[in-house]
Amino acid sequence: MTNYVGKRLLQLIPILIGLTFLVFTLLYIAPGDPAQRKLTAQGVAVSEQVLEQTREEMGLNRPFLVRYGDWLLGVLRGDFGASYKDGMPVLPKLMRCMGNTLVLAAGSLLLALVVSVPLGVLTAARRGGVIDRLVRLLTFVGNAMPNFLVSVLLMYYLCIQVNLFPVIAKGTVQGLFLPALALAIPMASRFIRQIRAEVLEELGKPYVAGALARGVAMRTVLVHDVLRNTLSGVLTIVGLSVGTLMGGSVVVETIFRWPGVGQLVMDAISARDFPVIQGFVLLMAVIYVVVNLLTDLSYRALDPRVELE
Amino acid sequence: MLLAAVMVFALCACGGQTNDPQTASGEKILNVAASFAYPGLDAHKEYYGWYTSIYGVTETLFKMGDDSTAQPCLAEDAVADGKTWTVTLKDDVCFSNGEPVTAEMAARNLQRAAQVNPRFAFLADYTIAAVDETTLTITTPEISPTLKNDLASPELAILDLDNTTDFDNAPIGTGPFVVSSFEPEGTVKVARNDNYWGGDVTLDGAVFYYMQDDDTKLMAMQNGEVDCCTGVSSAAMAVFEKEPDTYRIVSVPATRLQFYILNENRLDDAVRAAVNLTVDKDAIAEYLNGTVTAAVGPFGTATAYGKVTVPATDTAGAKALLEADGYTLNADGWYEKDGKVLSLNIAYYAARSLDTLATLIQEQLRNVGIQSTLTVEEDPDSTYIATADFDLALYCMIADKSGDPFYFIDSTLRNGAYFNVGGFESSECETLIAQLRYETDPAQRAALANEIVQIAIDDNAFGYVGLFNKTTVLRPGVSGFAETCPFDFYGIDANTDKT
Repeated sequence: MTNYVGKRLLQLIPILIGLTFLVFTLLYIAPGDPAQRKLTAQGVAVSEQVLEQTREEMGLNRPFLVRYGDWLLGVLRGDFGASYKDGMPVLPKLMRCMGNTLVLAAGSLLLALVVSVPLGVLTAARRGGVIDRLVRLLTFVGNAMPNFLVSVLLMYYLCIQVNLFPVIAKGTVQGLFLPALALAIPMASRFIRQIRAEVLEELGKPYVAGALARGVAMRTVLVHDVLRNTLSGVLTIVGLSVGTLMGGSVVVETIFRWPGVGQLVMDAISARDFPVIQGFVLLMAVIYVVVNLLTDLSYRALDPRVELE
Repeated sequence: MLLAAVMVFALCACGGQTNDPQTASGEKILNVAASFAYPGLDAHKEYYGWYTSIYGVTETLFKMGDDSTAQPCLAEDAVADGKTWTVTLKDDVCFSNGEPVTAEMAARNLQRAAQVNPRFAFLADYTIAAVDETTLTITTPEISPTLKNDLASPELAILDLDNTTDFDNAPIGTGPFVVSSFEPEGTVKVARNDNYWGGDVTLDGAVFYYMQDDDTKLMAMQNGEVDCCTGVSSAAMAVFEKEPDTYRIVSVPATRLQFYILNENRLDDAVRAAVNLTVDKDAIAEYLNGTVTAAVGPFGTATAYGKVTVPATDTAGAKALLEADGYTLNADGWYEKDGKVLSLNIAYYAARSLDTLATLIQEQLRNVGIQSTLTVEEDPDSTYIATADFDLALYCMIADKSGDPFYFIDSTLRNGAYFNVGGFESSECETLIAQLRYETDPAQRAALANEIVQIAIDDNAFGYVGLFNKTTVLRPGVSGFAETCPFDFYGIDANTDKT
């Protein structure tokens, strides 16, 4: 186990170097001058002389490889550089927002799982029935609705019509609920369909027929056998959703004023704020690899027959 | 089950809310939806001074009036004698901590801004010295007719450099409010400055909530959680306009200009003139539902330097010009000459409604028989502005940053200027721009500016389409949020009220 974890973490090094180099290259060749973006952020034109001086101060005139090498060496020392946009250190800035995004991601995952696991099992057990048809229809709608629409509808009905929540949410559980729900609805819709499919597959296996033939109650079979055997599938979809949640919640964060990393990175991309983008990519890659590793380890924990290679 | 889970969570999470929590204690707190937020409050850096000014925390030696003239603020007056300006501070002006604002402190502030803000690095070439407690002199390398306007830039705010210990989070300024809490790129709270030199401050405080999304702003206004907002989209405006008793909408033409450059190296005189006769600015402004005002020249028509004329939209005249130039309509309804269809490449970027503008212009050109293709770029400066690879290039920028026309004229009409990439050349313009650079009489400056811009208009080098309106939406009883000022960098002041 330790060897396996060590090997997987070692594999992370070339992945991170390759990924950050690729992103650095793409940013380098993409049109857009960070100095120009910074100086004209409010639409005020500046002279070429001021622009050139700023480029020099920001180190943008140095050769590509020197810039990448400096950045990489800085990262090895724990220094992710300073934001081009405001000169603030990148790491604390990212960590502050990453913390908020993690909270939002955890909240929405929790909501999605609380709803989708029972509904996924129930619809499989009542296949073809009214509940199954109704839930499938709802999941179809939930899947089809983009995040921004879900967010605006939730805000309109729960804040304006029902007046249950304030539009201006503070950093509390109350403030977390609506953005988490907006992310959870499409995610739960996907989960329910996938869990339903997994459970149906299990229900078709001989051990289920055998148990039922022996007089074991369906409920017991579902809870003790089927659900346990579908857990690895559930973990896979949860693991895959982490990446989407970490980087793809920008619209929800913007609408609900949630100060997460998605909003930060969108601003950084517009401003060509390379250090922030690079730092984000690095952190995301680490999180993604670690989550995948934990998912793989959990397969082994759930089923000792699984061999880690 | 889903609904039940949601409701249980909601009811548990929900502690009840009031539509105006800040007034629960009886204090007059103004809640504002802010479209921008920054990571620091050091007024001298970047554009942060725009926001400390909006928050009512910092002030400058002069400030821009509603009529785009520089008016006294911390300074009483500034008088030029050749290259030397003598600036006299008002008596009894003090910081929020009660410390007096001295000429020496004002001089050090200008020097600091030169060091920390590249856009104000030019101040390092000035000799700035305090003569006595309330008088400072500024000697410029060349005659600088617009120094008073420059000193009204919010980035040149006067801070207490000796007693401010945290410029990024708690700068000590001279404004009617002081920062009470600051979240980087988030919510900013200010409280009344009890030591305000300008007299009584009406509000107890204000809260600026960062809201990028138009729908969020709209719903926060509808829910009564914010009292005013700016930067209103046309869709939100339509909602506000339906309830005149609930919302007061104040809209003034501001300083941000939508314009296009016509490439003289690719388009002959007749085609450029035809394009300008075809583009219907009033129809565009109407389509954009009050967010812009149709422009005549680059500056507001209320200013002395905004007195230029342009021919009215005339599609028949445009067709006649093309036909006189040898163009004929082909079977498909497009103008062509020597077997080649007249087709324009319209370059634009998708911001400040330029995408809508590009589509509308394309449609208007199509109606007279001019074909066009749209080329969208993410970054105009490093693409079509740098390469001049366009027939018609759309751009949006602040044309009047400090109540004077020189900056825009120098940036767009001078030979070799950054935005003069369409081949516009005029020796007469060059001479007039050189005069404008050193002209000190405001009336004469305005006359020169009008003459210069008129030459560019008559040459059909540019098309000035629309000036963005500064639109402020206020709930009943709210007043004094700089809603009549065309500049974006003013907000609450001592007279801002909420009844």
